[in-house]
Amino acid sequence: MDAEIGNFETEMNRGFLQILVLALLEKDMYGYAMVRTVRDLGYELEENTLYPLLRRLEKNGWIKSQWDVSQDRPRKFYGITGTGRSLRTQLLEIWKKQDRILKQLIKEK
Amino acid sequence: MLKRLETYLEEISHFLSGREEREEILSEIRSHILEKAEQEFGQVTESSLDKVIEAYGPARRVAEKYLDGHEIIAPAYRRYLFRYTALLFAIHCLVSVAAAVFKESFIFFPVLYVPSMSPFEVLFYLPTAFLFDLGVVTLVLYLITQSKKEVRLPWPKISIDLDEVRPPGATVGRVFGLIAMTIVTGLALYLYLRHGTIFFVNFGSASRQPLLIPEAGQWYSLLLIGLFALSTIGLAVKLVNASPWVDAVEKALSLVLIGLAFRQPFDTALAVPLPEAVLRTIKYGVTVSLLVLSAFIAFDLVKALVRIGRKRLAK
Repeated sequence: MDAEIGNFETEMNRGFLQILVLALLEKDMYGYAMVRTVRDLGYELEENTLYPLLRRLEKNGWIKSQWDVSQDRPRKFYGITGTGRSLRTQLLEIWKKQDRILKQLIKEK
Repeated sequence: MLKRLETYLEEISHFLSGREEREEILSEIRSHILEKAEQEFGQVTESSLDKVIEAYGPARRVAEKYLDGHEIIAPAYRRYLFRYTALLFAIHCLVSVAAAVFKESFIFFPVLYVPSMSPFEVLFYLPTAFLFDLGVVTLVLYLITQSKKEVRLPWPKISIDLDEVRPPGATVGRVFGLIAMTIVTGLALYLYLRHGTIFFVNFGSASRQPLLIPEAGQWYSLLLIGLFALSTIGLAVKLVNASPWVDAVEKALSLVLIGLAFRQPFDTALAVPLPEAVLRTIKYGVTVSLLVLSAFIAFDLVKALVRIGRKRLAK
């Protein structure tokens, strides 16, 4: 049963992670800071999933990245683009609609 | 101290081989691991790096996350791998038998080259042919997948759909088949032990005599008894275990026995003097019968292989 829940969670996370990252990147952030921020909110973000996701989002033009080498350690900062913002708005609309449907169904029962 | 990190990155790099942005990916991971080690453990040490790397995951798993969507064969085309391989292999089997019988080479460039060979060589040629067919189909499906086009692959609707073949259960028919085959095998064995052959002329009368010379009579009798016995054992095993492997082994061994039948020179095998024209007709009839039988057995073998392949694919 736990394994099944784990599989469902993985499936559900696929979409959720994209909205989460797009929501996070309103302010430019580097990978580790994103993991920490989300952890403080009570969600564990798998590090080895985050970077491939960031790469896919960047390839599609929804986020952009830049290395900051001014500090001792180089850090790659990510930020949302205009098209990313528009996508985020649409995704949030979908999410709200799904949430509303589920709440309504549960209430009816 | 950073050796552990570099070794880990090298492992990931190995699995990312061929990706253009490999160096960039490795830089991102390096930066993250060093940052986390320092932030969560105070400083970058061998021990803190070990912990962070362990939490990041095995190198292969990490690399695979970047390879999502880069499939060799798209899921929609995977089932065609065994469908087309089975079909191509069935054609290969038939052409191979024809090459052995007619002593001719067959070339359909670039997918088929079957050299003239003896029936015995056919048995060694077919496994190689199967691997070749699998390779050709894999290559075609790979190219279709890489083209990213929506190609609708054809699949002929024949009377027995290879894709829909399912093993029948332990039916009453199978039990009757087993009883019948046991009787036939027993009778053939009895005749052979008593007379040294199972082929006779005028069997029911007093003028009964062997159809074949002793050596050929022994050879063909043992082969036929072997085929009967294989079928009997196959039916018996399938009553308790209907695995496609049983069919595959039975059909493969049957093909071997039929291949051996071609090894015996037929022209000098008859013990009864016959006119040249009649002898030629009988030889032609026997050859065609064995070919048809081989084709049916080869078809059953392919069906069994498709079922085995599909089971493995489903797993």
